[in-house]
Amino acid sequence: MTAIVVATVVGALCAIGTYLLLQQDLVRVVWGLSLLSQAANVYLLAMGNILPAGPDAVPVLAGHGEPPSGVTDPLVQALVLTAIVIGFGMTAFALFLSYRVYQEHGTLALAELAEADEAGDRR
Amino acid sequence: MSVIASWTQIPAAIGAEAASTLVVAPLLIALVTAVASLLSGRWHRGRIGVSVLGALAYLLAVAAIDWYIVLAPDAPGIATYQVGGWVAPFGITLVVDGLSAFMLTMVAVIGMASLLSSIRVLPDLDRHRYYFPLFHFLMVGVTGAFLTGDLFNLFVWFEVMLMASYLFVAYDGNALQTRAAFWYVSLNLVASAVFLLGVGGLYATAGSLNMADLSRRLAEPAAYGIDPVPVVGLFGLLLAVFAIKAGLVPFQFWIPSAYQAAPPQIAALLAGATKKVGIYAIIRLSFTVVGDAPVDVSLAVPFTGFEMAGDSPLVFVGAALFAMAIASIFVGGLGAIGGRSIESVLAYSSIGQVGFIALPVAIAAVVPGLRTFGIVAALVYALNHTLAKGLLFLAVGAVRTATGTSRLAELGGLAGRSPSLAVPFFVGLLALVGIPPLSGFFGKFLVFDVAARTASSALVVVVVAGSVLSLVYATRLWTRSFWGPQSTAVETAVADHVQAAVLLALALAIVGVGVGFEPVYAFAEAGAEAALDADAYVEAVDPADEVSTGSGGDH
Repeated sequence: MTAIVVATVVGALCAIGTYLLLQQDLVRVVWGLSLLSQAANVYLLAMGNILPAGPDAVPVLAGHGEPPSGVTDPLVQALVLTAIVIGFGMTAFALFLSYRVYQEHGTLALAELAEADEAGDRR
Repeated sequence: MSVIASWTQIPAAIGAEAASTLVVAPLLIALVTAVASLLSGRWHRGRIGVSVLGALAYLLAVAAIDWYIVLAPDAPGIATYQVGGWVAPFGITLVVDGLSAFMLTMVAVIGMASLLSSIRVLPDLDRHRYYFPLFHFLMVGVTGAFLTGDLFNLFVWFEVMLMASYLFVAYDGNALQTRAAFWYVSLNLVASAVFLLGVGGLYATAGSLNMADLSRRLAEPAAYGIDPVPVVGLFGLLLAVFAIKAGLVPFQFWIPSAYQAAPPQIAALLAGATKKVGIYAIIRLSFTVVGDAPVDVSLAVPFTGFEMAGDSPLVFVGAALFAMAIASIFVGGLGAIGGRSIESVLAYSSIGQVGFIALPVAIAAVVPGLRTFGIVAALVYALNHTLAKGLLFLAVGAVRTATGTSRLAELGGLAGRSPSLAVPFFVGLLALVGIPPLSGFFGKFLVFDVAARTASSALVVVVVAGSVLSLVYATRLWTRSFWGPQSTAVETAVADHVQAAVLLALALAIVGVGVGFEPVYAFAEAGAEAALDADAYVEAVDPADEVSTGSGGDH
């Protein structure tokens, strides 16, 4: 059951993210990128499972008394934490960059920016 | 004479402990340099001094790695550093073998040249306070990507490298730069999400992210209860991500605008170093990690009646790389012919050149008999591309400093005005085309040789056509910018001495690699053998299960 819910969530996030990514507005594109990386994070979190506790599975547990009977895989959680931090930084940077694009071009419409690109090549 | 005497006195071996420390040295040096140059505040001379010293120390550390770990008579060939004392597969492992050492050497050389050249184009240093710290953070990311022993850390180092390169693409902050940076950032954010999907899937399927552990598990999937077939698809996702970093067609579209937007000194580094990270990751993952997984493959090539078959995922890698490499050679070559400024020609040309690097890798993946030879050809070609393209991009910087422009329409007659720029530029172009005795000759020759040995005339035709294209755009570049009557911008041009000296040094390096090719070939061969010897890699990173579980009981 959980598996189905998680799969649906990942699928929905990916779909919405992709939809936003294909929009004409730069800010929506940034939202799309952000949702897509969140989808990847949720997916990553779903890749772990319950492990038998012990130093073989979770090295930190060695030397900390009697381990509990089962633990969730700590590796994926560490990975997701790192990925979230990187994703936040990148989203902030992309937002900032879209502001700078607006300052330079006076527009956030992708079609007009693409025109500017072609004009730039023709210089 | 005394130089030779002191050379022979270099001890040929150091202990395992020292070798292990040496592995982490370039990473630490780059990081310390980046932080130190950040801390120097408004003291610009101090920052420049720290930067140059740091780059020099980096170069020395990489040279020490080359000698003590790879090239010395009784060198171990591979050395590892387990961060924090946590052993693989749980801890973070840094590994150096022939392949990563070869890549590191290229990056160290081009990094030094780019740094020295940069110092001369930042007269208003207060505005450029963050240039050098960013530069070194870029080096940290690249170094980490070459050293890391596990997939997730590869992702993290990619991000470190990308963050610095985003800022460099947006560096001048004009309309062109902000636009180029936005495309570049968006594409790479999508790539990062795909990278995470691939990594997560691999972890769920194979149960590990340590490359050595993955390699061992995939070689005997039955013993670990793994189905190797999904791994092929997940690896395909990763391959697309690496192809974006390397700029292979169909993932090449960000390259021209990003390379034109970044300062030319950084474009030299992007072409010379970050592109090679993509190539390195493709070679390392294809051959060392997933190459031994038993998967029966039978793949018919459409319209040719040719069939690729084999028992490893490498056949898929080969098929994908063939398509991407051949398309890159043509797209890059044709695009370069229409370029309107020196850097736009060079940017397209580097798409074509990376096709020339990927082609022998594809051959190596498909034809087992040519495996070592194919990777050697790719490495030698990559070395030539780093030196020649680095030289040419730095020359763009020097031309801009001298004339204020790099558009072909506004240039002309530079050869008469400034021979100190023209001679190295000419050498760089010849190396790109592949004229003996320069490094480019051996690169092209080895790729030709490998293509010819597959006995496929179509491949030879592709390589010849690609070479003709590079000849055409190199000629056009030379006649438009360096020959002909002097334009108004060129008439008053004065070449900067330091920049000209850096160019000359790189030109000498290109000639040097070509003339003294024997040791370079030996180094590339060591790199290729290291890439193919998955057992040695596994043994060095994670010496057998018993040992790691045995030490766990001591706690």
